[in-house]
Amino acid sequence: MKDLERLRTLIKEPVELVLNQQIQMELISSSKYLAMAGWCDRNGYDNSAGFFYKQSEEERNHAMKLFHYLCDQGATAYTPEVPAVTQEFDSLRAVFETVLEQEIAVTDSINRIIGVCRREGDYATEELLKWYVKEQVEEEYIARRCLELIDQIPADQVYYLDTKLASVTYDKNPFENE
Amino acid sequence: MDSNVLASYQLVFQTDKGTVYQCDRTNRLILSFWGTNTPLSARDFSQFRRMVQTVNIHQMALSTEAADEVEIFTLPRLDRCYVLTLCEILHLRELLNGAVFTLELNSILRECGCSTLSNQD
Ligand SMILES: [Fe+2]
Ligand SMILES: [Fe+2]
Repeated sequence: MKDLERLRTLIKEPVELVLNQQIQMELISSSKYLAMAGWCDRNGYDNSAGFFYKQSEEERNHAMKLFHYLCDQGATAYTPEVPAVTQEFDSLRAVFETVLEQEIAVTDSINRIIGVCRREGDYATEELLKWYVKEQVEEEYIARRCLELIDQIPADQVYYLDTKLASVTYDKNPFENE
Repeated sequence: MDSNVLASYQLVFQTDKGTVYQCDRTNRLILSFWGTNTPLSARDFSQFRRMVQTVNIHQMALSTEAADEVEIFTLPRLDRCYVLTLCEILHLRELLNGAVFTLELNSILRECGCSTLSNQD
């Protein structure tokens, strides 16, 4: 008997399920960052707002990468529900604390998906997810560095802090240019 | 096997309420339920199964609304539908889950390099 499901797609159902959940998570991240961009914009943190607008776009791209992968490989990608996200924050520090928590949740989720790929023997999807592993190392670094800067820069130097926060990058990511 | 079942149909799973066959000639799974034979591609089969799996049967069981007595399932790409009661949905789930079990077993055999399932065995 032919294996019709395998002829249809490379991706097994448990992997398809977790990738769809990840698409949702990335789009929720995108929505959260957009809300943060709005909050920063309203509160005079122009540079941080710019950082979050860009970040929101990036999260959407993370979702789209998985969406296209599922479609290209014969599986089904579902447009997920994106629930309401927090619009107001107590402080800039609270914003970046939320960022770090969100990025840690994403890292954990990516790790779980790789576990599913290994269980299902899906090395192609695991290979794709390596990009996300690398990306998360960078995202967590940036969030932690921003929190450090908030602690280090005196509270009255608002403009300086806002400028510094928006310029944080991870130049020496050991996973780049292997 | 009743007379309208083609020779190329292989039995995947059967309950006393219905049967799922696979036709390797047309690459279709055939759902034989409620007196009709419906050929479905692997994609449509899995989409249909998802529909049957995700219907809220608790609401159907608890509700007194007339609209909750039956659920309508449109078959992908076919202008046909099933209007099923709670009991029939449970029968359909049993049939589809059984079929998936056989299909997954067939998949595992193929992955291991063993010979896959066939009617001749
Ligand atoms: Fe992301
Ligand atoms: Fe991120």
